[in-house]
Amino acid sequence: MSATLTTCPYCGTGCMLYLLSDEQGRLVGVEPSAGHPVSRGQLCVKGWNAHAFVHHPDRLKTPLIRRQGALVPAGWDEALNLVHQRFRQIASAHGPDSLVFFSSAKVGNEENYLLMKLARAGYGTNNVDHCARLCHSSTVTGLVETLGSGAMTNTVACLDETDLVLVIGSNTTEQHPLIGSRILQAVQRGCRLIVADGRRIKLSRHADLHLRHRNGTDVALLNGIMQQILELGLEDRDFINARTENFSALQQSLAAFTPDRVAAITGLQADEIIAAARMLGSAQRAMLFYAMGITQHSHGVDNVRAVSNLALLTGNLGRPGTGVNPLRGQNNVQGACDMGALPDVLTGYQKVADPAMRERFASAWGRPLPERPGLMATHAYDAALADRVRAFLVLGENPLLSEANQAHVAKALARLEFLVVVDIFPTETTAVADVVLPAACYAEKDGTFTSTERRVQRFRRALAPPGEARADWEILSALLERCGISADYTGPSQIMEEIAAVTPSYRGISYPRLEESGLQWPCPDHDHPGTPILHQQNCTRGKGRFSPVDFRPSRELPDAAYPLLLNTGRTGMHWHTGTMTRRSHLLDREEHSAFIEIHPEDAARLSIRDRQQVSVESRRGGVRVMATLTDRVPPGQVFMPFHFVEGAANALTNNALDPESGIPEFKVCGVRITPC
Amino acid sequence: MLKRLDRSDLEKLLSALATGYRLLTPQRLADGTRLLRPHGEGALALQGEPVQRKPTEAFFPQHDPLLRIGEQGEVTTCDPPVRPVALFGLNAADLGCIAFIDRFFADPPADDHYLARRKDALLVGLTGFSGPGGDVLPPANGMCDLELLAFGQNWLGVPWTPRGEALLEGFPDGEQAEVEELLESARTRGNPAQDLLEKAAGLVASEVVPDDFWREVGDRCILCSGCNLACPTCTCFCVEDRQEQAVTLRSRVWDSCQFDAFMREASGHNPLGTEALRTRRRIHHKLAADVTRWGEFGCLLCGRCDRVCPTGIGIQAVAAEILARFGP
Ligand code: SF4
Ligand code: SF4
Ligand code: SF4
Repeated sequence: MSATLTTCPYCGTGCMLYLLSDEQGRLVGVEPSAGHPVSRGQLCVKGWNAHAFVHHPDRLKTPLIRRQGALVPAGWDEALNLVHQRFRQIASAHGPDSLVFFSSAKVGNEENYLLMKLARAGYGTNNVDHCARLCHSSTVTGLVETLGSGAMTNTVACLDETDLVLVIGSNTTEQHPLIGSRILQAVQRGCRLIVADGRRIKLSRHADLHLRHRNGTDVALLNGIMQQILELGLEDRDFINARTENFSALQQSLAAFTPDRVAAITGLQADEIIAAARMLGSAQRAMLFYAMGITQHSHGVDNVRAVSNLALLTGNLGRPGTGVNPLRGQNNVQGACDMGALPDVLTGYQKVADPAMRERFASAWGRPLPERPGLMATHAYDAALADRVRAFLVLGENPLLSEANQAHVAKALARLEFLVVVDIFPTETTAVADVVLPAACYAEKDGTFTSTERRVQRFRRALAPPGEARADWEILSALLERCGISADYTGPSQIMEEIAAVTPSYRGISYPRLEESGLQWPCPDHDHPGTPILHQQNCTRGKGRFSPVDFRPSRELPDAAYPLLLNTGRTGMHWHTGTMTRRSHLLDREEHSAFIEIHPEDAARLSIRDRQQVSVESRRGGVRVMATLTDRVPPGQVFMPFHFVEGAANALTNNALDPESGIPEFKVCGVRITPC
Repeated sequence: MLKRLDRSDLEKLLSALATGYRLLTPQRLADGTRLLRPHGEGALALQGEPVQRKPTEAFFPQHDPLLRIGEQGEVTTCDPPVRPVALFGLNAADLGCIAFIDRFFADPPADDHYLARRKDALLVGLTGFSGPGGDVLPPANGMCDLELLAFGQNWLGVPWTPRGEALLEGFPDGEQAEVEELLESARTRGNPAQDLLEKAAGLVASEVVPDDFWREVGDRCILCSGCNLACPTCTCFCVEDRQEQAVTLRSRVWDSCQFDAFMREASGHNPLGTEALRTRRRIHHKLAADVTRWGEFGCLLCGRCDRVCPTGIGIQAVAAEILARFGP
């Protein structure tokens, strides 16, 4: 009958909860942590159900090796030897860059660190990446350029002292519910709210201003707002003079974004844009929040730059109740980035291209390191189809359902010589793997996650893994050992010591210091209390840089053949490809099949009734799903969540990539719908 | 028979309880959460806010295996543990909640699974000066086997059942007079929350609260289900079947009437298809429907739904808003 304090395995909000077990050691429930600064005794529905999938009978319990076409049980040594041997063979035949390592934003910091160490020191390639490529790679690229750090600048508690919240491209009450609810509480106490989102999301019902701009026109909208802020003289001159650079270039770039022109691009009224400018320009303290609605575009980095420009223009940076606040999606996507599970950086964003950085790691690890930045995950599929890469190791990801353009991904995976997947449940991707390794889930191991507010906090083992499943750090250590790199760690705590030694922003972090509610990085030494608010005196890069951007339309807009704009995302009940939540009874019951939201006007025109099966097609594929008639979506736009294998939104989406961040355009493509 | 216990007597009482029962006592965990935990696991927290998790969990857990259906269709029940539980440290509201759901689960057809855990369980009330910072909690006046009223460094032991009496045997006698001050202080304080609830209930029952109000409140619900999961008088559950090889394990799982699927028909139609309708139903159930069914509110003002709701629409917050807007 234990109560184990741990971190929620779902979103990046980073709530803490107790996992409760009975006398037999089975998990029977969840109770929120009262003292945690974000959860404060509360959780969202996913958190309340965080125990529910753990004992599901589908759990992977033994390693599997493909023999004569079928995955059959094997021993750990046999499976690990096979993985190592095949990787070695392929690397020596085709070079180390023929291997690709997909890390995971669901596993701990220590595990991400070991995976990138395995890729770089073990097999000699920088081809390591993870699903941040699909969610906030635009943020990392954009904000590093403008501010010097690609993370949320402020802290969730800042919502208690802000005057205005702008939420653009984030369905916060469903995707970061305990941040969304904190926004609602702020509104209750009189804080003003602007929501910029084509969909009528729950937050919009509480907004002072709801801007329903067309998907993919964020740059025009934000530039239009900034143009008006300047026009009205509401910019923060003192801040601009003291803390920023490149202002005149911004000023020039904005001139063309007059309200009328922006109205024509975005579908808004000119006075809505002016109203937003007035509100933003006159607020003492404004917090800007954004998520996938900003990042998942072929111009995602430009969108991020525009948000950053707006914060700098209004001086909303470096103070309580302000900031550029990208909401990181997965429980540990911030940490996976911090740990260098990215092709161009080591831990703490230390560039692989920088010889001094490489040297630091080479001497810590006793191996020379590859110099050339590796492949982005989203480029790996083309590389596989061109035989430039031949083997993937995928840790706790299900790219067959989560990447844009499913058919393209399926073809690429089929082309590989060797595919290894480490996961807790069978998925669409394990089904096509050559080796499947069963992993412990978050409740069965120790480690740390880093939440969206840069809070490094513990998750703790509440029970033993099922069957022969092992913690990811144990699996990765075993592979490191096979590469001749000593990895006899006593546990994740010792791995964190190694991370701290090579990572300036984590240097002061150690397990004993994380006992209560964790520490927010940067935490440069053992006495440092952590940093709730970034860029207080100076930006990480020195001056905040205005980075002017022009409006570029999305790559595939609706046309005569595919007349509706498809927007994709998630629901509040499910997590990504549903591996865990579709195996959690209450969550699955609440939202149990694939659907498409369609406006009643469009439905009437197409003779589609509510709950009718429809066929949805794009240039890349087609699916059948249930129609949900709702005015949540504007006319001309439809919305699908990507959780459902039986109606996979990503069979339709466009894998057009942002040229800088490599993020796919999940939020805009053309589709046509016909009743079945 | 009243008894006066000092700290060492209290320890003696607890050890006696721990030999006969699986004893749970209020403890404050490292992060500050106050929960009922196995006695001895951590230090006792004899004063404080109500224990966070509803104590009815001991008889009606969040996830509770009920039975197994074998390959041939044979059914074996999952019997709850035989060692009875003793819950120590319950306040009057929580004891009221347990009494409320005792009646519900015992009402024919009786719920054997609940009763199996409940029948030999022992309840110990902890009232008097044992609230947050030593604040006074009103006496329970029954609903438990024995009650301890905290005053100064001591407790007045009041037995309410023969089992309670037996447990208090041998401790020095106490006097009602010793707790006069605390009874007086509880009396003068009155029960403003109860008054609020009664007034709001009157308005809810007389249908003066318009749909627009419920829409406004419902718009704030983020569908976390916490208000129901935290509520000790909420007894709704759903059934989860899981198949492992050929055996099906059937469990019951706490449900929430804030969920859309709670009332969704097989056709997909939902007579309670909005948060507004469901929030209205939640409040209406406790303040009006339960009164019709049981002659009393389904809310004993334990405070949990207000504490757990991330957007501030627990029952007392909603009642206060109803009163402010539609009251006299
Ligand atoms: S808000 Fe996020 S971290 Fe918090 S309980 Fe919900 S899913 Fe978990
Ligand atoms: S206060 Fe809320 S949780 Fe407690 S009994 Fe009343 S309705 Fe239930
Ligand atoms: S606790 Fe509040 S937000 Fe959660 S379901 Fe209940 S009313 Fe809705």
